[in-house]
Amino acid sequence: MSTSTTPRPSRRQLLRTAGGLAIGLPLLNACTGGGQSAQNAGADPTDASGPITVNWWDHFRPLTELFEKKLFVEYHGKHDNVTVKRRQLDPADLGQALQLARRSKQLPDVHSTAGLSGSVAALVTNGWFHPIGDFVDLGNSPMKDYLYDGIHRFDGKVYTFPVFSGRWHDSTTWVNSALAKQASLDPEQSPATWDEYRATVRTLDQKTPDSVHGLLLPMKDTDYLGGKLTAFAQMAGAPGQTDWKTGEIAVASEPFIQAMEFLLALKADGVLHPASSSLGPRDARARWAAGEAALFPWGPWFIGGLMVEESPAVKRGISAWQIPAPSTQRGTVYVAPAPGSFFVSDQAKNPKVAADVLFQMTTADFAAQLATRMDQPPILLDSVDKADVHPAYKKNVSFFQQDVRIGPVPEVRNGGVAKALAEMRDVHPSPGEIVQAVLTGSTKDYKAALQQYADKATKERKRAIDAAKKKGAEVSEDDWVFGNWQPGQDYTQASYK
Amino acid sequence: MTVTTEAPVRQKAPAPAPKRRTVWRRMRDDWWIYLFLLPTVVGYGLYTVYPLVASWWYAFLDWPGFADVGTFIGFANFELLWADDLFWNSFRNSLVFLAIAVPLRVGLALLLAIVLNRRSTPFRGLFRTLLFLPVVTTGAIVGVVFTLILDAGGPVNLALVKSALVDSPVDFLGSSGMSLYSVIGVWVWKWLGITLIYWLAALQTIPNELYEAARIDGAGNWKEFRYVTLPLLLPFLVVITLIDMVGALNVFDLVMTLTGGGPAFSSEVVEVYIYRTAFGATVPQLGYASAAAVLFGLLTMALAIAQALGIRAARRAMA
Repeated sequence: MSTSTTPRPSRRQLLRTAGGLAIGLPLLNACTGGGQSAQNAGADPTDASGPITVNWWDHFRPLTELFEKKLFVEYHGKHDNVTVKRRQLDPADLGQALQLARRSKQLPDVHSTAGLSGSVAALVTNGWFHPIGDFVDLGNSPMKDYLYDGIHRFDGKVYTFPVFSGRWHDSTTWVNSALAKQASLDPEQSPATWDEYRATVRTLDQKTPDSVHGLLLPMKDTDYLGGKLTAFAQMAGAPGQTDWKTGEIAVASEPFIQAMEFLLALKADGVLHPASSSLGPRDARARWAAGEAALFPWGPWFIGGLMVEESPAVKRGISAWQIPAPSTQRGTVYVAPAPGSFFVSDQAKNPKVAADVLFQMTTADFAAQLATRMDQPPILLDSVDKADVHPAYKKNVSFFQQDVRIGPVPEVRNGGVAKALAEMRDVHPSPGEIVQAVLTGSTKDYKAALQQYADKATKERKRAIDAAKKKGAEVSEDDWVFGNWQPGQDYTQASYK
Repeated sequence: MTVTTEAPVRQKAPAPAPKRRTVWRRMRDDWWIYLFLLPTVVGYGLYTVYPLVASWWYAFLDWPGFADVGTFIGFANFELLWADDLFWNSFRNSLVFLAIAVPLRVGLALLLAIVLNRRSTPFRGLFRTLLFLPVVTTGAIVGVVFTLILDAGGPVNLALVKSALVDSPVDFLGSSGMSLYSVIGVWVWKWLGITLIYWLAALQTIPNELYEAARIDGAGNWKEFRYVTLPLLLPFLVVITLIDMVGALNVFDLVMTLTGGGPAFSSEVVEVYIYRTAFGATVPQLGYASAAAVLFGLLTMALAIAQALGIRAARRAMA
């Protein structure tokens, strides 16, 4: 039998020691820079000793290589204690994952906001993000001209900056050049008008083998269809879903009716791929790449996506067609200023390091590298000219410069608008859902459906404004009226003053 | 002669009535039973009871998904829901799904089980395996594969057009008149195998002597089925139908991958509606989505009670 000679601490001693540790550790932690009190913009953000992991979630699949093999590796090369761990998710999954992660306090340090389609202002109000303006000097970066109140800056604090240009739409027609040549068409020649477009698609449909169809118009994703309706309506003269001169919801206006008739005409021509009604855009891209259709309208990221998943389709030959207009007098596609692409989460363990990693994306060099991935065009659009990109990508960006203008954004002028937007509930059926119903034969009276949407959306906006006012927001319907907005011109930062 | 000496039998005193043990005492004496139960109780509590109770509470909150917490608004979510056409559309779709898919799955599986239970059926084992394979395949994968199979250029349409049954391909998933029924068809195909197994197990409880007796009495196949098999399967029918009904209310993966609830909400069932409201909206409405789940739960509960009462009344009438 052995007897231990080590004196055992009494229960009281044990409790006293544990209590001392419980109080002392956080204090020690604060002294050694574990908390945020030691942070300041001038010091190297990675001075803290010990390994730092920046968790990063985004939805930019074509940028996988750029991020994981270049940006993060280079950053690690400069700061060997910092490792960036990236997770790429599909946009809808990302939105869901972020909502769940936030509630369980597992948000990554940096994330994009795809899938969280609400206003960024609402997210800022609810404390989702950490401001980055104190950590990095955006005022002296090429980004300084692209920062807007209500989009990137809230209450004087900068939360994000645009990495991608806002000057784009997702209705460029991408052409299988080989099939166009087979139909004796010049793949580089965009049909200018809707009538010419229809005639060209018919030619492609007829002069290619029976297994090839003229156009793929995926109808499963209603946001995609809503984008087509709005872009075509804008080419027919609509300012967008809101008429900025009057502030009214313009979805039932004549240009929208014309756009709907154009889409219906394409269907009536019998040129659509028969599976269009059950496909989403990503499935449709795979079908287009397989040579089942000659044309497919989608966004500027099209070639970048193909390069990742279906690169032979690019090598086979691809061209871009400018968005057609009802007549030779072309309208303009209006878009909001480029939003912030990435945010530092308020749950970030090292917000300063996270902000510093983000800051590496503000350089002209990064913009040039971004352009080569042929995703959304970079915010510094000039870099596309110098970058080694596919000629069709370059051509498409030049189309955007001709066709796309920056429109007004109510929450830039009045931050209170964001509070009303946060109160707003979705109205159904939305324009995209109406297009889907019309093209799949569920509804015939699209004029009534669009009018009904406009009425319901107007009513809902009024209700949301009243709800926001009750919570102290200063907002009114006049916030959606921009008397100085001029069609065909950019609504610049100066225009808000 | 054998003499047996037996111990004198003592008159046993009546055993004292066992003392009723308190719950605390029982737990102390049989602690190991509760220890073994603990993982199940904790798991069930965390992943079934807590979400259930929480969703009831959330249903009374105005809770945009971006916010950390919601604000109590009483019955406002239920009032909005009551006036929401799309909720009732999805509710109707769920009921249609239930009303068509469950009898189809239960009936078809029974027929197949009877055929596959016969010793004379060739390749019984192979057919049972083939029919069971879709059950162990992930729902989302089945959905993706069937989008290709039911596609305008897919094998089903190819067969229909080539055999001149239709002039042009049928838009199984992209037509508002067909989408829900196509999903029902795929769901029945996917889950048929498991119901088949239930029926096979049930059929094997019927003693062969009964069939032999029926045959001696001159019963043919139909009479055997009508007067022997069917009456003895009735208790199983109630259980199998209940299991399949629960399954028919869990079709999220298939609907999302096949149609996404469209086109024009034609195949949107309540689960998809809840998901869309909770995660797909511009401003996610967690309270509203929870209210939809609660209301749907209450309504299906009412239907189940009505069904149970109906069955009881029918049994009494038959007795």
